[in-house]
Amino acid sequence: MQNNMKVILYSRTFMAIIGGVIAGILGLTSLTGFIFYFLVMAMTSVALTAKAKFSIHSYFDSWNRILLDGFFGGLMSFVLFWTFAYDIVHIF
Amino acid sequence: MAEDLVLDTAIRDWVLIPLSVVMVLIGVLRYFVSKLMKGSSQIPDPKIVKEGQVIIRARNLRAGANYIPAKSFRARKAYYSNEENGLLHVPKGQAANPQAQMFSDPNMAMDMMKKNLSMIIPQTLTFAWVNFFFSGFVAAKIPFPLTQRFRAMLQNGIDLSTVDVSYVSSRSWYFLNLFGLRGLFSLILGEENATDDTQRMMQMSGFGMDPSKTLGAEKDGLDIVQHDWVLPKFEQRAESVLRKLVK
Repeated sequence: MQNNMKVILYSRTFMAIIGGVIAGILGLTSLTGFIFYFLVMAMTSVALTAKAKFSIHSYFDSWNRILLDGFFGGLMSFVLFWTFAYDIVHIF
Repeated sequence: MAEDLVLDTAIRDWVLIPLSVVMVLIGVLRYFVSKLMKGSSQIPDPKIVKEGQVIIRARNLRAGANYIPAKSFRARKAYYSNEENGLLHVPKGQAANPQAQMFSDPNMAMDMMKKNLSMIIPQTLTFAWVNFFFSGFVAAKIPFPLTQRFRAMLQNGIDLSTVDVSYVSSRSWYFLNLFGLRGLFSLILGEENATDDTQRMMQMSGFGMDPSKTLGAEKDGLDIVQHDWVLPKFEQRAESVLRKLVK
């Protein structure tokens, strides 16, 4: 249980950072970027669900865990890396 | 107009990238320094450990109460919550004031100081360093628009009201890094670093807690447990399960 939570947190953070870099390189701005973040997070959720073989309740206690955990923590990392990549590629 | 702002590539090479790299390295350094300072001085008070173990044992008893006969349960309950010498019973007036205990124990105060210092010193140093070297640069541009209210937050150190708000000064880039890199640290340094802050918070609130109170609460919980031995009903349950299987 604890380990599962940790794995979710890791994968979310990792996906947020990778997604941020991709969004920055693609040059997404304003709302598109945030929509991209939601897409990435949704993708992560689906991937995690697939990893758990679609039987959430044998690994977690509720759906919220897999859908929302680490969502806002990831947002900060996403914004940072998005800005970073965007600046390096597009501004200068 | 604001879109036309051209930033020198030298700013990228000498401000933006070094600043970010330094932030990451300082985070790593801080992690190892705090690990070093923690050292082996963490010898917990045996009395506190004992109390914690007693509480865990009582909790286990409460959880598994129905799997032992009524007589055994009563014996164990008496062992824990007996009014004279039960393990969970704390005589009145004997409970030490944790606040006073904390002040009387210099080790504890030192520990707290160390932890806080390892947190504060690098932060002030980096902030001073950023201030000294990189003040007044427009270092970055956030790829989404913000309202005027964010100006004070993002353009700390630049006093131009005509520059678009989404441009970020170097000092504010430092703050952005400070918050955003927490996720990265938890990836590269392991879980402990990420949970450090919350743990510290827990510890702070734990200081004000009275151990005798948790003992008392556990005793109350044990007192109100309704004992109901499951073994006599097992045969019926097994029967129903087997019947279902046979069908």
